[in-house]
Amino acid sequence: MQIQTQTRTKIYTVTQVNSLVKDVLEANLPSWLTIKGEITDWKEHQSGHRYFSLKDEESVLPCAMWRSTLAKIKFKPGNGLAVLVTGSIDLYVPQGRYKLIVDEMIPAGMGALQLAFEQMVRKLEAEGLFSEAHKKPLPKYPERIGILTSGSGAAVHDIAVSIHNRWPCTRLYLYPVSVQGPGAAAEIAAAIRDVNRRNDKLKLNVLIVGRGGGSLEDLWAFNEEVLARAIFDSRIPIISAVGHEVDTTVADLVADARASTPTKAGVVAVPDMRDVLGELSGHQRRLTGSIRSQLGLCCEYLQTILASAAFRNPSLSVLNREQHLDDLTWSLDGAMRTMLIETRRQIQDYQDQVAKIEPHRLLGRMMVELNELKSRGLAAVTKVLNNRDLEITARENRLAALNPKSVLNRGYSITMNKQTGQVVRTADDVQLDDSLITELADDNRIESRVTGRASVPARHPESCGDARPTGEQRS
Amino acid sequence: MTERKQKDEVGKLTFEQAIQQLKGIVDRIEQGEIPLQDSLEQYEKGMALIKHCRDILQKAEKRIEKISKEERPEPEEEQENSEPLLGG
Repeated sequence: MQIQTQTRTKIYTVTQVNSLVKDVLEANLPSWLTIKGEITDWKEHQSGHRYFSLKDEESVLPCAMWRSTLAKIKFKPGNGLAVLVTGSIDLYVPQGRYKLIVDEMIPAGMGALQLAFEQMVRKLEAEGLFSEAHKKPLPKYPERIGILTSGSGAAVHDIAVSIHNRWPCTRLYLYPVSVQGPGAAAEIAAAIRDVNRRNDKLKLNVLIVGRGGGSLEDLWAFNEEVLARAIFDSRIPIISAVGHEVDTTVADLVADARASTPTKAGVVAVPDMRDVLGELSGHQRRLTGSIRSQLGLCCEYLQTILASAAFRNPSLSVLNREQHLDDLTWSLDGAMRTMLIETRRQIQDYQDQVAKIEPHRLLGRMMVELNELKSRGLAAVTKVLNNRDLEITARENRLAALNPKSVLNRGYSITMNKQTGQVVRTADDVQLDDSLITELADDNRIESRVTGRASVPARHPESCGDARPTGEQRS
Repeated sequence: MTERKQKDEVGKLTFEQAIQQLKGIVDRIEQGEIPLQDSLEQYEKGMALIKHCRDILQKAEKRIEKISKEERPEPEEEQENSEPLLGG
């Protein structure tokens, strides 16, 4: 084993092997490789470098992209994005691993800038920066317009001419900024914020931000976020005027109004003087016309008054009034008459109504009723009295039956001692020769004398059989 | 108001203010609901406004001035560093 090793090869260190492989790789691979693949395992390291892999259906290739390369890329790479990358294979000796060091990256199928543009549009749209609700209205007749563009390009001239051709009385203020290259977007953004800050003094009614046509790359500053946010934040309304008709930039979308090119800025920013002069003439015609017609009407009215009878024959007015008075008198008279007739008619109506009631007949009817009531009352009273009579007789009969004297009718008699006036009940109640009075029915009386008596104890003398009449009947 | 005063007042108006006032006057007079005396005064003012608007348009200078970037440390004296660039 030792021998074999010694004879077949020399002994390498790990580092030597890795370095050797690195040399072989570099010698045999093209120095630049362009590779198509899909990004996966994307890692953003704190250092600013990016580590990821490219993959296809079967394999994975580790890649690294340094901070400096990343800064050149406009769009945002990420997992799942299909890209074309250019770079070189490098072997990292300490670990013996190789990876592709990316020097360029573009989206597969779409330009990098196009992708970056679409990504920015999506992002800002989601935030609502393009919303109509945030668009500030443009002044109708701007007096002072700020132009933010290159001081040396054709754009400033195009914009100025397009404005002044339509509306010469606007004062234009150029704020020169670079409109291309790194830092241009930030410079324009700063200029917008600067003007807003100083607008108490500058008093600009509207800003135009733009530049002439160019490649997508040339116009790139107008797609950058920093400029979009400055436009959005501006309190002064902003018109974008970037590139050619076909170009649309993020600045166009976020601005309050958009001119397709700098030469169209005037159409958007200011009215056409010819239209306004026409409008002024129209106002003048209407004003003159109205005042003429109003004056005409007044004159006509005046003429009418002068021509009226009152002016031609002043006394006519008095006569007219007299006539009017007469008319009034007649009317009054007529009215009074009518009223009298009406009142009379009403009285007649009342009389008729009263007659209809016929008081004498009413009285007769009442008398009859009264008589009837009277006789009914009488009858009732009589009936009551009769009833009472019967009742009384009945009571009398019953009472009479109870009268002790009524037994006399049945043949009994009552004997009284004439001297004492007492009813004789026993023989002891009388003495010999006492006069007795015997009471019979119907107050007939007999006077008799006691000629003899026999006392029977405990026996009630009941009959006066032995009494004899002593006097004649009395009623 | 005297004619002089009226003229001064009109002269100070911006184009927008002038044309707004003018429209108001035309409407009022056309509706014919104001007395003749007032109408005549308004008419005078309307004509003055029209003249003022025309003056603004026709006496334009077509100027471009330049705003320089604000230099923070310097006092704010020459901020509107006016410098004609283009003539009509």
